[in-house]
This record gives sequence, C-alpha cells and structure tokens, in this order.
Amino acid sequence: MKKPNGTFNIMFAGVGGQGLMLLSSILGKAAVDTGLKVMTGEQHGLSQRQGSIYVHFRVGNPISPLIPYGKADMMIAMEATEALRYIEYLKEDGVVIMSNRIMPSVNETEQVALDKEKQTKYLTVEEIEKQIRKVTKNVILLDSLELAIQAGNARTENSVLIGATAACKDFPIPAEEVRKAVLALVPPKTVKANSKAFDLGREAGSTCLGT
Amino acid sequence: MTVEDVMRNDKGPALMLANEAVVRGALEADVKVVAFYPGSPTSEILDTFGELKDHFGNYKMHISSNEKVALETAAGASMAGQRSFASMKSVGMNVASDSMFSIGYTGLNAGCVCLIADDPHAHSSQSEEDGRFYGEAAYVPMLEPSTAQEALDMTKWAFEVSEKHKTLVIIRTTTRVNHQRGMVTLGELNRTPFKKNKWKDIKGPYYTVGSVARALKAKLLEKKEALRKDFEKTKFNKVVPGSGNVGILTAGVCSLYVAEAKQNLGLDLPVFKLGTLFPLPEKKLSEFIKSLSTLIVVEELTPYLETRIAAIAHTANPSLNIIGKRSGHFSEMLEYNVPIVEKVLAKVMDKKISLDYDAVLKKAEKLKKILPERPPIFCPGCPHRGTLWAFRQALQQLRIRDKIVFNNDIGCYSMAFLPPNEFSDSMLAMGASLGVSAGMELALEDKVIAMVGDSTLYHAALPGIVNLIHHHSNVTLFVMDNSVTAMTGQQFNPNSPFEAGGTPARKINMEKMFEALGADKVVLVDPYETRDCVGPMKEAIQSDGFSVIISRRDCALYGDREKKKRGEKIVPSENVKDTCRAIHSCIREFYCPAITIDESDSKMVIHQDLCDGCLECRQVCPVDSPRHMEVKQ
Repeated sequence: MKKPNGTFNIMFAGVGGQGLMLLSSILGKAAVDTGLKVMTGEQHGLSQRQGSIYVHFRVGNPISPLIPYGKADMMIAMEATEALRYIEYLKEDGVVIMSNRIMPSVNETEQVALDKEKQTKYLTVEEIEKQIRKVTKNVILLDSLELAIQAGNARTENSVLIGATAACKDFPIPAEEVRKAVLALVPPKTVKANSKAFDLGREAGSTCLGT
Repeated sequence: MTVEDVMRNDKGPALMLANEAVVRGALEADVKVVAFYPGSPTSEILDTFGELKDHFGNYKMHISSNEKVALETAAGASMAGQRSFASMKSVGMNVASDSMFSIGYTGLNAGCVCLIADDPHAHSSQSEEDGRFYGEAAYVPMLEPSTAQEALDMTKWAFEVSEKHKTLVIIRTTTRVNHQRGMVTLGELNRTPFKKNKWKDIKGPYYTVGSVARALKAKLLEKKEALRKDFEKTKFNKVVPGSGNVGILTAGVCSLYVAEAKQNLGLDLPVFKLGTLFPLPEKKLSEFIKSLSTLIVVEELTPYLETRIAAIAHTANPSLNIIGKRSGHFSEMLEYNVPIVEKVLAKVMDKKISLDYDAVLKKAEKLKKILPERPPIFCPGCPHRGTLWAFRQALQQLRIRDKIVFNNDIGCYSMAFLPPNEFSDSMLAMGASLGVSAGMELALEDKVIAMVGDSTLYHAALPGIVNLIHHHSNVTLFVMDNSVTAMTGQQFNPNSPFEAGGTPARKINMEKMFEALGADKVVLVDPYETRDCVGPMKEAIQSDGFSVIISRRDCALYGDREKKKRGEKIVPSENVKDTCRAIHSCIREFYCPAITIDESDSKMVIHQDLCDGCLECRQVCPVDSPRHMEVKQ
C-alpha cells in the first residue's frame, strides 16, 4: 500500500444471486484476521435476482463507505457487463479482474429477438474489454467457469476470482490469509474444490499481470 | 456471516454491518421485546434478531403485521416494564406515527427505542422522505449514528436516555449507514433471563386526551429541556478542532464524507459532528459558531440542520455566512458522496480538487454507451410473471385493455409497472391501491382493478377492502399470494404458518376472511398453471361487486430454499429446438432472465444455472417447446 492515506479500494460488481456478498465477506474476514481495518458500502434492498449489484470495499484506514469516482485501485467483476457499468469508480490503470461470463438482460434479449434482419447482436466480452482498456491496461479476463469446472465444482467461480485478486502485487492482504478465509467461509463439502479454484485463479492472475 | 459476531461473549473487535451492530447494541442493553415490519434498509435488523432468537432464548419477538403495530408492541412492552426495540423504514414511521405522537405525550417506562431509516436516492423506497422532522414534531428525542460503531454505542445509550427520561427514543439512519460494514469493538453482553412482570407492580397511566393532554404537554416541554441539558454534554455531539474561521456542521454518514473530503484537500477546518437531531444542543452549537465567519452545513435531503442553525445564529452570531442548500451550494436531491462534498469545500476554501471527478464521470458515461440496461426484474420462477401474463391474456380476450384503471401497490409485484406489463396507473403506499380504487370507482366509467401482495393485504389494505365492500363498490382485487414478505427477504407474515425464528404460528385463512367480509366473488388460481388462470380471471373481472382473484404460489426464492431443506432437487428446463418455431412469446411477453436467444438460429435458450424449472414459459409458448430436463427421453 503506497497510498498517502493507506487505503486500498476495491469495487465489487456483479448480478444478484452470484454470491457477491459472500465474496465481500471472505475478503473482509481475511483483512480483519490480518489486522487491517475494513469499511464497506453494500447494496442490499430489493432481494430480486439478476439485478445489477455492487459492494464498495475499503481496506487500510477507510473513512467513509463509498469509493469516490476514479479512486478504486481494483475492480472485481463476476459478470463482464457489470465491470463496465461501474467503470467510473476505477482509477486510471487500476486493476480489473473480471469473469468473461455475460448474463444478458431481458431487454437486450428482446432487442436481439425483435430484429428480423438479425443485425442486432449481443454485446461481447471483447467489446466490453476494449472499453475498459481505455481506462486501464491492467485487465485480467478470466474464464472463471472453465477454471471452476477444472477445480472440480462449477460453483467455485468466486474462489477463482479471489485467487486472481490475491495474485496482484499491490493487494494488501497476504494470499495465504485470503485462502484461509475462503476455506473458512465456503460450505465444508466444497473446501477441496475451492482451494484448487483459488490456486487456479491465483496462477491465472499472476500470468496475466506478469507478476 | 457476521451473525456469529453478534452473539460473541468477548469484547473484541468485529467487522459488522451497522444493522447488525444495532442488534448487538440492543442485546448488550438487555432488550427483552422486539417487534418489526421489514423494509429496506432495515430488514437485516429483523433478520438478525430472528436468527438469534433461539440462541439467546431471553427475548420475545414479533414480526408485526405493520409498523404501527410493531411500535405499539414495543411501547406496550415498555409500559409493562420490559426494555423493547422496534425498527422500520422511513415510510414505515408514517404508518406508526399516529401512535408515536401519543407515545410522546404519555411517555413510557422501561427503555424503548425505535430505529427509522431514511433512503436518500430512493434506492428501494417510494420517496426520499426526511424523517428527521418526526423527533421535533412529536417531542421525541432523536439520535443519528454515522458508523457501525456509533450504531452500536448509540443504540445502547438510547436505552439509558429512554429509561431516564421515560420517553421513546428514535434512532434515525440513512441507507449508507444501515448497509455500511465497519469495525466495531463489542461491549459486554450480560443477558438476563426473561421474566414476566405483574401490572400492579409497575402500572402507570398511559392515556392522553383533552385536559390530560394539556397537562402532559406542559410536562413534555420540561422533558425536552431536561433532554437538551443531557445532550449538551454527550460525547455523541463532538467538536473536531481545527483552525481558521470557517467551520462545518454535519451529522450521520455526511460527517464521513466531510472527513474524507477534508483529508483529500488537506484542510483543517473545525467540524461539529452532531449526534442528537432533537433536542439540539443549542448552547454547544452557539459556542461553536460564535467565532466563525462562515459555516458550511453538510446534510442530505431537506435543509433541516441549516434552518435550525440559522435560527440559533440569529442570536449567537447574526453575521454568520451559512453555506448550504439555501445558498445554492448543495442540492436537496439524492444522496451525497465524497466528490459532492469535496467539490463544495474546494470551491469555498479556494483549493484544488484532488481529482477531476466530472471528467472521470464524463469519460465513463461515453464508455458505457454500449451497455444494455439491466432494470430490476422478477426472479426466474417468480409466480408474478405468470399471473401478470394471464391477466394480459384475459384483458385481450375481453377487449378491455383500454377500459380499465389499474392501481398497483407496494411489493415485488410493484415491478408490474415495467415492460412487458406496464400495469400501474397509480402506486402510492402500502395498501393505498384500495383507497385510490374507491375514489376512482366513484369517478370513472372504467373497470377498477387493484393489486396487493399477501403481506400488504394484512399490513394496510384491510380497511380499504372493508370500505369497498361496505359501499357496494365494483372493484376487482388481485392478491398475489406468495406466502411470505418476498421483496424484503422472504420474512414471515400473517399469511405464513410460522413466525420469527421459524416458530409455528397461525396462518390467517384468506378465503374465509374474504367470504366473511362479504366479497361477491373469490377465485383461486395457480400461476404455474398459467393458461388455466385466464378463464377464472375473466369471470372475476366481469362479475359485479367486489371480486377477488387470489393467485397462490410460493415465492420462488423462498420455495427453492424450502425445497433444498427437504432434499428436493430443482430441475431446470430446456428448450426443445426441434419444436421451437422462434415465435419468441417467451421473450417478448415474458421477460425471464433465464431465457436468452441463440444468435445462430434465433431460437430460445434456457440457462440451466439460472432456470428454476417452473415451466411457466412452456405455458406461454404456443407450441409447448420448453420442458423439464428430466423429461428428456
């Protein structure tokens, strides 16, 4: 943490039902167990699934719950379009760790269906990445589902993303503390798969960033 | 996750949601009776108390039928000598306020605290209501925390204030406090066993009317001054020292934005961080502003503090220059953040802003142009989707889509105002669809239709229903019965066979109730048998008098959780491409987030990890193309 006020800001983004709150809890536990202070601004409320959701996660010496625009050191997106939806929070050349997964909204599906000429296509990960790269070159695009399946459980995508996060050199929480928190908070039956998923994510993360 | 922290016996540090810290504070204060109606951003308070009920076993809990009942339950318990707590969202206090004003007069006995949460930005509310006026209007002391730690400490302190002054104490929060997770140092947890009292040992009069009210009012004014004296001394009204003759007055989450903006700008302004919104510590405030030339007031919503400090400055410092909403520097709109506060401080203090936030926003706006919207939507498997589809068919078959007026109400089904349904000629407040329908039925030639959920039905719709039946009104009511209060997190309500913590409770018999009230027609439909709903709906809409369509099916989120508990599998569906003729009814008329389209052949695809297997889409499909996965060969 080379920041003047010693606070590292992470913006979590995703779609309701993806387990964003668990992801934030895991990093929260890891930070507290390391002796770091945490403050978050979370979005609860309408409990419906498939809406856009976020968590502002601040670790170090946080003062307020919301990350100011352009001051997130990192963004972790469980769904690709949601990474772009909150791009105003990312600082220039901040790190983006995003899943290549896209969950199209019904509005987009309707537009594709209504186009009899078949010219309207779904937004692609490539198009999204191109936009994000106009803010930062540090983009880690993960095939999180594929890596989760490799780890032996399709539902370990969160651990893949968290593993990649822990691989980043500026990330303030030691990787082993993060792993411990992951394993403490996931369902006991899935500990092995989550541990593997964490390692695969960590590997992928360090390859992407060349650390 | 952090429920474990709420029940810890040690006094160590913990990372907690402020809503959980409130629960911890109340538990440390040995609260004995708690009552709630859920509502964002307060629902986690109720949920946490519910989850811990059996663990502690030494407090009683009700999920009440509405906020007024919840506050009265807490008040009744306090009168009976038990410390009590209630919480509700901003608009919930509107419902509870009738009793709250009288409680202000009568006073109470054991510590009684009520939390109300405003929602600047209307994230999940019908208005950006400013609940701060309630304290002053009802002569009830009001506190405002800014962090999770303060939420814990103030809740605990509120019980002492309440008991000392024999008054209800309100804690006012905003969404960004309730849903803020932060570091908390736990206090001692000394829970005592629950023991019922005898009325004769503690009884006191708690009534107010006429001459009694006038006598109580005089005492109330004395109470207000006694409270003010205490609030002059409390640590929660804090002056952060600084240099220069420009100062800041702020409270709640805004005080955090102020602290961060000051740090970003390298400013050393003195700050008055207010913790008691009513009564105000007027002496301490006078002292603070006396030597200032300029005061910047940072608060969301109305200029509540600004107008009050202006009145105080009138005698304490008449030449004080006040920067706030009335000077045009701050808006009464939406919620604040660091950039908003930093920009004003930079302008007033002639400093360079730490980052050109406007440029960041402008660039992001441009980059985001390619993004499709992701508006709120019914979950996969939601019964409302089927009910509303069938209703549209009924209207189409009767050819009356342009001859009805539709009064919507508060719940998940509020989303009927969005495409593809767009049913919402009005939508005001819990249960309001019935009252509005009464007026419209008098004034319009059209068929009047209202819609409520089961929780709203028992919350505030019943008086409106009785009124319509009594007046022989011609209205059709939809009851979207999904067995729980779905939107706020699937809490139990009088329509559930359980109460808080999963304890068995009595489920109100809805059909019998409507029958006893004298409804002219009651039909029951199952939205998963979507096509079969159309006929009975048409019948009910066409019948004379007050007709009711009960559409009954568990909330999918709740139902799936129960299924998993029973060890049942959720079997997703698939689209059989050989049958599918790309008619797209499932897309254009149904809007299920588990449904997308295959760009190569334009046929529908069901995402198995999102699909709930409800097969409502099969009902909507003219060629029955979707089917359960297990049906495969």
